[in-house]
Amino acid sequence: MQEGEDYFSFTNRLFDQSKVQEKPEVLKGIRVLEVSHMIYGPNTAKILAQFGAEVIKVELPFYGDYWRTATYWGKYWKHSNPLWHFINHSKYFVTIDVKKPKGRELILKLAKISDVMIENFAAGTAEAWGIGYTQVSKINPRIIYVSLSTFGQFGPLRFQPGWDLLAQGASGVISITGYPEIGKRYKIPDYLGDFYPSHFAAMLILAALIYRQKTGKGQYIDLAQAEVLIRSLYHFTYKTITGKDLGCTGNFDPTMAPSGIFKTRDGKFIALAIATDQQFKMFCKAMKRTDLLKEDRFKNVFNRLKPENARELIEITREWVSSKDAAEIINLAKEYGFSASEVADDVQICNDEWRRQRGSVVCFKDEMYGELVLAGPIVMLSKTPGRIKWLSRPLGYHNRYIFKRLLGLSEEELKQLEKEGVIGYWDDRVGLKPPSYYDIEKDSIFNYNKE
Amino acid sequence: MKEKEQVYSRHLKKKKTLEHLSKWGEVLAKIMSPEGKPEALDDVIVLDVSYANFAGIIAASLLAELGAETIKIEPPEGDPARMMTPYGVNVDGVGIPFLMEGRNKRYITLNLEDEEDRENFKKLVAKADILIETFSPGYMDSLGIGYRQLSKINPGLIYVAITPYGHYTSKAKEYSKIPDTDLVAQAASGLPALIGELPDSPEPYNWPTRAGFWAAWYIVGVAAAMGALLALYYKKSTGEGQMVDVASFDAFSSCVGFPATVGFVWGRPRPRYGILDYGLCPYGFFKCKDGYVAIAAFRDQDFRAILKILGRWDLEEDWRYLLDRITDDVDKVKQLNKEIEEAVAKYTCDELLKKFSDYARKSARSRWRGGGLPVTTKMLSPEEVLKEKHWHVRKVFVEVNDPKYGSFVVPICGKMSETPPRVKWISATIGKDNEYVYKKYCLNRRNER
Repeated sequence: MQEGEDYFSFTNRLFDQSKVQEKPEVLKGIRVLEVSHMIYGPNTAKILAQFGAEVIKVELPFYGDYWRTATYWGKYWKHSNPLWHFINHSKYFVTIDVKKPKGRELILKLAKISDVMIENFAAGTAEAWGIGYTQVSKINPRIIYVSLSTFGQFGPLRFQPGWDLLAQGASGVISITGYPEIGKRYKIPDYLGDFYPSHFAAMLILAALIYRQKTGKGQYIDLAQAEVLIRSLYHFTYKTITGKDLGCTGNFDPTMAPSGIFKTRDGKFIALAIATDQQFKMFCKAMKRTDLLKEDRFKNVFNRLKPENARELIEITREWVSSKDAAEIINLAKEYGFSASEVADDVQICNDEWRRQRGSVVCFKDEMYGELVLAGPIVMLSKTPGRIKWLSRPLGYHNRYIFKRLLGLSEEELKQLEKEGVIGYWDDRVGLKPPSYYDIEKDSIFNYNKE
Repeated sequence: MKEKEQVYSRHLKKKKTLEHLSKWGEVLAKIMSPEGKPEALDDVIVLDVSYANFAGIIAASLLAELGAETIKIEPPEGDPARMMTPYGVNVDGVGIPFLMEGRNKRYITLNLEDEEDRENFKKLVAKADILIETFSPGYMDSLGIGYRQLSKINPGLIYVAITPYGHYTSKAKEYSKIPDTDLVAQAASGLPALIGELPDSPEPYNWPTRAGFWAAWYIVGVAAAMGALLALYYKKSTGEGQMVDVASFDAFSSCVGFPATVGFVWGRPRPRYGILDYGLCPYGFFKCKDGYVAIAAFRDQDFRAILKILGRWDLEEDWRYLLDRITDDVDKVKQLNKEIEEAVAKYTCDELLKKFSDYARKSARSRWRGGGLPVTTKMLSPEEVLKEKHWHVRKVFVEVNDPKYGSFVVPICGKMSETPPRVKWISATIGKDNEYVYKKYCLNRRNER
C-alpha cells in the first residue's frame, strides 16, 4: 500500500477482477454431495461450488433435474436451458437411480467421503429411500446433512407438497405485495422463494463447517423456505404490537416517506426513498422546497411517516419527478445524497458497465458452450473471491470421472451399472444433451480412462 | 389419540416408512430445540457500526443468532435506523423493525468523529473478528479507521462493507454519496421491473411494483453474513482476515441470477406479467370466492390434474403441453389465465383445498404415475400465519415480554441439531451495555455516555 494513495485506487487493486482466478478458494477440499433438484437445493450447492467446494450433483438417469428442460418461454440456448447454467455451474454431474439397491449403495459410498450432503425432496422422501440423515450419519458421523423443504422436516404440515410459490403464499409475502384498491396480489418473480432461502442455507452450512472445524462434529440442518421468508417480515411483530395487519401498500414503503416508484418527464421510472432527517433535508434542497423543512408535520421521521403526511409528500414527489428527466434526478441524487435509482430491467442489468467491472455480471467463456453472460457472486471477498469454473454439463457427463477417481470403479463395473440402468445418460431431449456442434466422443473428461 | 399424518407421495406409502418417519419427526422436534445446546460462533466477536441501513443490522442479527458476541455501536443520539418503521409506529422511540432485529446484541455508543472515541473503537477492533459498516465508501478510511488502517491493527479482521455500488469501480466512487434504501436497491437490481399488471393495463398498475417487504435489505443482510462466514472459515485455517464487499444494487439480480442471462440470450427485457409467469403456467395466486389460492402446474400431469379438479377438462386438448402454455405470446397465455381465473372464482378456498387434497392423496396411492401432484395453498395474511399451529410446533415465533417494550413476537428460522440459532434476548436501548462493554474491553470512560 502506498501512503496517501486514493482510497478507490486501493480498493480497485484489492478487488482486481483480473486476479480472481489466481487467488485461493476458501472451500477447497470440501466435498458436497448434492442429491437435489429444481432451485432451492441446487443453488445452495452452487454457492458452495462458487467458493471452491467440490460439488457432486446426483441426478436421475435419463430424466435428470426437471429444471434442465424448464426454460422461460420454452426457449433454449445451444440445446440447454440458459437459466440452468447459473444454478449449476462449476459442479460435477453424475447420474444414479436411488431406487435401485445398487444406486442407493453408490450414493451412500459417496456420502461416506463427503463433508456436506444436500437434499430437497418432499420431507421424508430421502429417509424413505434410505439416504436420509438417520442412515448417512451412521456411516459418516462428521457429515453436515442439509434437508431443504417448504415446511420443514417436522410439524403437522411437513408432508404438504410445496414450492417457491406456496412458501410465498404460506409466509404472508404475497398478501403484502400488490395493490389493495384493485384486489391484485403478486408473487415475487424469478422464484425468489427458492433463491433467497438457498443463500440462508449456505450461511447455516458455513456456520456448521466452522463448528466442525472446532469440534469435529457434524450435524443435521432442517431449513424450511417458508420460514426464511417469515424471518424476513417485520409484519408479525407489527401485528402483535398494534393488533392490526399492515396489509399491502403498493409502491409506498411504509417505513420511509416519501417513497415510491415514479414516472419521469422522459417516461422512465425512478425509485426514490427518503429514510432519515438528513436525507430529507438534502432532498428538499434538491427539489428547491426547503419551505417543507419548516413545517411541523414534516419535521421528523415519525411525523413524516403518518399516513396523511406521507401521502402529501408522495404527491409532492410525484409532481416534482414528472417535471424532470431521469438523468437530472439521478444527478441531483448524486450531488445532494438522497437515495434514488432508475428501475433497471434485464437488458440494462446484462449490459451495465459497473456490474461488468465489479464482477457481479460476468461474460464467461466456456469450453463446451462458448460465451454466456451470467451473474457472478453476490458477495465479493478480497482474498478468496468466488468464481465460475465451468458452465453446466450434460446429464451424466462426469460419471466416469467421479466414479473411477473417487470410488475406484473399473470400466467393466461402470458398463454393468449402465446396463442395469443404475447410471445413465441423456436421450435426445434438449436440456439433457450436449450442444449439437460438440463432439462428445473426443471429450477426455466424459470418456475419462475409457480405453 | 394422535391424528394420523396425511401423506401425498408414493414414496411414503409403506407402513414401515411411515412408522420410521413418525418416530423421526418426534426425535427431530426434540433435538432441534436450542435448550442446552452450544453455539457455532460463541468465540466470535462482531462489531456493527452500520448506520441508517438495515442490511447491516440484519447481517449482525444473523451472526448474533448463531452465538457471536455482537456489539452494535451507535453515535450518542442513536442510529437513524431506529426510526424506520411502518407509519411511524414505535415503542418508546424504537421502531418495530429495529426492535425485531434487536436480538442478542450489546448496544454501546461511540462518536467515531471524536479522536478519543476512535481510540476506543480501535481497541475493540483489535479484539474483533468481524466488523460490519455501511457508511459511504471512503468515509471510514478518511477517519483513519478504514480497512487499510484497521487491518494493520488486526490482520485477522474481516471487514464487511455494505453500500449501493460497493467500494470499488469508478462508479462506486462517483456515486458514493447516494445512500442505501431497500426500495431503491430493489429497483436498481431489477425486481420491480418484473412485478405489476400487464403492459396494456391502466396506469399506474402497469408500472414497476415493489416487493411488499424489505426484499433487497434481507437478501443483502444474508449475503453479507454468508460472506463474513466464508471469510471466517478462511481465517480459522490461515489466521488471515480480508475485506468483504456487498453492493445492495446487486441484491435481486445477483440472488436470482436470471436478469443478466435473460438480457444476454433474448436481448430484450421481460415485460411485467401480472399474475402470469415466464416459466410455468399456471403459476400464481388466483382469486376465489373468499380469498386467494395458489394454482401451480409444473409438469403436464399436474396441469391435467388441475383441469380435472376445476372441471375444465375441455381445455386439455389446446393446452396439453408445457410448451403450449409458456410462450412469449402474451395474448395467448392471457386466454388460458382467464379461463382458470373464471373457474377458480366459482369455489371457496376450503372447497378447492379439499378437492386438491383428495385428488393428491388418491393420485399418490395410484399405481399409475401419470396422475400428477396438484398443489395448492391459501394466501395467508401475517395474522393468519401467526395462527398456524405448524409454526408454533417448530417454534418459529418467539414470544417476548419486556418490561419496557411490552409483549410481542419475533420470528426466527433455521433448525440445526448441534448449534441451532436462537433468540436469547431482545433489547434496543441506546447505550444500554456501555458499562459492560467498556469494562470488558478496557475502554476509556471519558464522561458519562
